[in-house]
Amino acid sequence: MSKKLGLYIHIPFCKQKCNYCDFYSLGCQESKIPSYIEALCQHIKREAPLYKDYEIDTVFLGGGTPSLVEPKEFEKLADTIKGSLKIIQDAEFSIEANPGTLTKEKLNCYIKNGVNRISIGLQSTSDTELKALGRIHDLKEFKESYSLARKCGLNNINIDIMYGLPNQRLDDLAKTIENVCEFNPEHISAYCLKIEENTPFYKMRDSLILPNDDEEYEMYIYLCNELKKQGYEQYEISNFSKKGARCVHNLKYWLSEEYIGFGPSAHSYFNGKRYYYEDSVEKYIKSLECVDNLPKKHYEEETALKENSMDEYVMLKMRLSDGINEQDFKEKFGVSFISEYPSVLSYIKNGYVKQENNSYSFTPKGFFVSNYILSQILKFN
Amino acid sequence: MNEKQKNIRNFSIIAHIDHGKSTLADRILEYCNAVTKREMEEQLLDNMDLERERGITIKARAVRIDYTHKDGQNYILNLIDTPGHVDFNYEVSRSLNACEGALLVVDATQGIEAQTLANAYLAVDCDLEIVPVINKIDLPSADVDRVRNEIEDVIGVLAEDCPAVSAKVGLNIDQVLDAVIEKIPAPKGDESAPLKCLIFDSYYNSYLGVVVYVRVMDGTLKAGDKIKLMSTNAQYDVVEVGHLNAFGLQKADSLSAGEVGYITASIKTVSETRVGDTVTTVENGATEPLQGFKEALPMVFSGIYPADGARYNDLREALEKLQLNDAALSFEPETSIALGFGFRCGFLGLLHMEIIQERLEREFNLDLITTAPSVIYKIEKTNGETIYIDNPSNYPSNDTIATAYEPTVKASIITPTEFVGGIMDLCQDRRGIFKDMKYLDSQRVELHYIMPLNEIVYDFFDALKSRSKGYASLDYELAGYEPSNLVKLDFLLNGEIVDALTFIVHSEKAYTRARKIAEKLKENISRQLFEIPIQAAIGTKVIARETVKALRKDVLAKCYGGDITRKKKLLEKQKEGKKKMRRLGSVEVTPEAFMAVLKLDDSEK
Repeated sequence: MSKKLGLYIHIPFCKQKCNYCDFYSLGCQESKIPSYIEALCQHIKREAPLYKDYEIDTVFLGGGTPSLVEPKEFEKLADTIKGSLKIIQDAEFSIEANPGTLTKEKLNCYIKNGVNRISIGLQSTSDTELKALGRIHDLKEFKESYSLARKCGLNNINIDIMYGLPNQRLDDLAKTIENVCEFNPEHISAYCLKIEENTPFYKMRDSLILPNDDEEYEMYIYLCNELKKQGYEQYEISNFSKKGARCVHNLKYWLSEEYIGFGPSAHSYFNGKRYYYEDSVEKYIKSLECVDNLPKKHYEEETALKENSMDEYVMLKMRLSDGINEQDFKEKFGVSFISEYPSVLSYIKNGYVKQENNSYSFTPKGFFVSNYILSQILKFN
Repeated sequence: MNEKQKNIRNFSIIAHIDHGKSTLADRILEYCNAVTKREMEEQLLDNMDLERERGITIKARAVRIDYTHKDGQNYILNLIDTPGHVDFNYEVSRSLNACEGALLVVDATQGIEAQTLANAYLAVDCDLEIVPVINKIDLPSADVDRVRNEIEDVIGVLAEDCPAVSAKVGLNIDQVLDAVIEKIPAPKGDESAPLKCLIFDSYYNSYLGVVVYVRVMDGTLKAGDKIKLMSTNAQYDVVEVGHLNAFGLQKADSLSAGEVGYITASIKTVSETRVGDTVTTVENGATEPLQGFKEALPMVFSGIYPADGARYNDLREALEKLQLNDAALSFEPETSIALGFGFRCGFLGLLHMEIIQERLEREFNLDLITTAPSVIYKIEKTNGETIYIDNPSNYPSNDTIATAYEPTVKASIITPTEFVGGIMDLCQDRRGIFKDMKYLDSQRVELHYIMPLNEIVYDFFDALKSRSKGYASLDYELAGYEPSNLVKLDFLLNGEIVDALTFIVHSEKAYTRARKIAEKLKENISRQLFEIPIQAAIGTKVIARETVKALRKDVLAKCYGGDITRKKKLLEKQKEGKKKMRRLGSVEVTPEAFMAVLKLDDSEK
C-alpha cells in the first residue's frame, strides 16, 4: 500500500480583504488568476515525480477565496492535479467559498471535477457584524449560496463563524449559533477574532470595543456546550462536526501526517521536513516562468520544539479532543506519555485536562488556555 | 614657607553637576602642555566610562602639572579633582583638605545650584581660598553679571574680577591660571617635623597593590621608610613614592611637606587605606593624627540578586572586584525566600547605589533584581537592647519595640520660584519639616527641610525633577536619628509573604503606600490558572487587598493551512518568558514586576 499525502492549494485572491484578515491574499487583483493558475499547474507538473510513490487522499483548496476561480481555470487546475498526481477514489476534496461568489455553473463544475466538500465563510448571521468585519456579503446572500450548494448535491458543508467580534455580546453569538444550526451543516468551524498586525482592525484597534478575555471565555464555553447539544462533536479546538464529518485534511496537521502545499505562503510537511513558499504571487509566478525552475522552499529553522520530536507530537495531538492515547504514544516512542509528561496530571483536578479510555485530552476550558498549559508541560529540549 | 613650597599650588575644582568642572580641568592641562592636543581625551581626569557618560566624577583623581607662569617662574600645580555629588561629600571634604584653594565653577546660564553651595560651604569649612570661575560664557543665554552678583550675595566671595570663561571652546583659560598663581596661597608645613600625610584617595593596581594618594602636610617621606596608618596602626614598608602626572605615576626620590603624590607599600586592599586617615612614620612619628577622619559609612541599603540564580558566584566576584576600589561599598550574603541567594549591599547614597548597580550590569554583564532601598533603623527594644536594622524583613515585631528611630537629613533644595508650591507639597507629603526659605535672587529660592532619609531614598529625586521640569537641585546631609512611628509592611501573594517586598513605612503613610503597591503588583503580575490574592499587611492585619483574576484565555484558536511553525514559535516565546520568572510559592512573577513596584512615583496623583 502506498503512502498517503494531503494536498493543499492556496488561492490568494479576494474580492476585497476583510478587516481582520492577515492571511496572504490580494484584494481586487482577479485579473492575475489565469496566469497564477498556469503557474500552479506548472509547479505541480514539475514536482509530480517527487510524489510518484504517494497517494493523495485529501485535496483542499484554501484561500483567499478559491470560489473566485472561473470554471475554465478550475477545470484546468483539476485536470493537472488528476493528471499528475495519484488521487484515490474517495478522496476528500474541499473548496473554500465566500457568499456572493458562488454560481450554479461554478458549483456544477466543482462537483464534476471531484469536489465533495465545501466550506463557506459566513462569520456571523448579523448584517451589522458582517459589515463591521468588512465582509462582502450579507446573510441573504449566504442563504442563497448555501441552498445553491445543497441543491447542486453537496452533502458535506462547513460553515465558518467567528466570535469575540467588536461590540459582540454573548446573546449576539447565541443568535448566530442558533441560526447556523438551523441550516444544519455537517461541519462548523468557530474562530475567535484576533487583532493581527497589518490589518485594518489593527489600525482601528483603539476605537474597537472588543470583548475581554473573560467574555471571550464565556462565549467559547457557550459555543462548545451549545453545539454539543445540537449534535455537533468538538474534535479540535475550533472545529465541530456531525458524526463522520470531521475534516480529514485538517486532521492531518494535528496527526503529524504528511501534506504538500502549493502556492505562495502554502506550508508543507513532507519527508519529515516542514517548509513553506514565500508570500508573493508575483515572485511565485516568475519563479515558474522559466522551464525546469521551481519556487524556493523555506525550511523550518531549528527550534526548541524539534521536528518529529515527542514535544511536537504532544503539541499537535493536544489540539484534538481525542488527545493523546497512551497505547499509541508507547508504540511510537517506546515510553509512557505520563511518565514523560507527569505534570499533565496536575491539570486534571481543576478540569483543564480529562482522562478517558487511557487517553489524555483538554476539556473546552483547557483548550482555551492550552498555550499556557503546553508551555508549562513541554520540555523544549 | 620654604623656596620649594613657594612655587607649589594645590587646588581643587568644585561645581554643581554639569557646570563644566571636568572640561575646565582638561583645558588647564592642555593650556599648561601637560598633555598635547593629540593626546587629549575628552575629560581626561574622568577615567571610567560611566563617569564620562554621566558627566560626573565618581572617584577623586589628582594630577601634577609643571607650569611656567608669565612671571617667568616655574610652578608645580597639583589639581585634585573631586567627586561632584552629595553621596561623596566626605570624600570631597578630604580632597579639599589636601588643598589651599578651590576653583568654584558656576554655569553662567544656570547660576548657583544646590551642590555649588554645598561644595562652597565645604571649601569654606576647610579654610580654602575660593576662586570663582564663571563658565559657559559662549552660550547665548549666559548672564555673567547676574551670576557674579549671585556669587557675591549668596556665597559672600568677591566675584567682581573673577575669570569668566568658556572651558568648552578654551576661552580665557589664561585668566584662570593667573588666578590660581596669584590668589591661591602656597602650601605651608615643616619638612623636618614628624611626618603627617593626608590620604585623599586610593586605588588598587594588580602590580603595585594599593596606590595611595596623599598630601604631605608635614615631614618628608621616601622609599624604604616604615610607615603606619594612624586609625588602625597598621604598618607597612614604603616601596615607592612619586608624583601623579597626566598619564600615570612618576617615581620620585621623596615627597615633602606641601607636595601631593602617591605611596605604594604592598597594601592589599583599599579598605586598609581609608580616605581621611593620616600616614606617619613608625619611628619619630606624629603623636596626633590630622583632624576630621571618619569612616565612610553606608546610609542606603538594598538587596541585590542575580536575575539568573546560577550567576550568584559571578555576582559575588563582581562585588569583590568593585570593592577593591571602593571602600565605601559594603556587602554581605543574604537569602530571600522570593529571590534566592544574593547580597545586602550598603551604599553612601542613591547615586552611589545606582552607579554600583549599573557597573555590575554593564562591566560584569549581570542581570540584577534589586529590592527597594532601605535605611538603617535604630530600635530600642523593650528588653533594653538597642539594635540596628538594615533589612526590612528583619524588623522586629511592634510589641518588642520600645522606641524606633529613623535617620533624618538636612535637605537643601534650590529651585526657580515658580516650582516652589509643588516642591513644598512634595516635601510635606514626604514628611519634611520646613525650616526656612531664602531668595537667592528674584527668580530662585533655596528651601531647607529636615526630612526622613527613608522618604527620599527611592524616588524623591525623580519626583523633584518632574515637579520642576528638571530645574530643582538637591543636596542633603545626615542630621541624626529621630524617634518615629514606624511599621513593617508585608506583602502576601496567594497567602504567602514575599520577603523581598517587605518595607518599613511611617504608620500614617502605610495605607496609601500599601494600596498603591498592591495596585502596582496587580498590574504587573500576569494572570495564572488560579486567582491570586494580593494582600498588604501590618502584622496579621490586612490593610489593602487586590486580586489577579485567573487566566481564562491563552490559545492560538486558528492555525491556518498547516502553519505549525507559527504555533511552535509562539510556545517557545512563552517558555522563554517563563524561564525568567521567579516562583514565589505557587505564583510566578517576572523580575520586571519587582522593578515596577520599586519605581513607585507618589507624585503621580
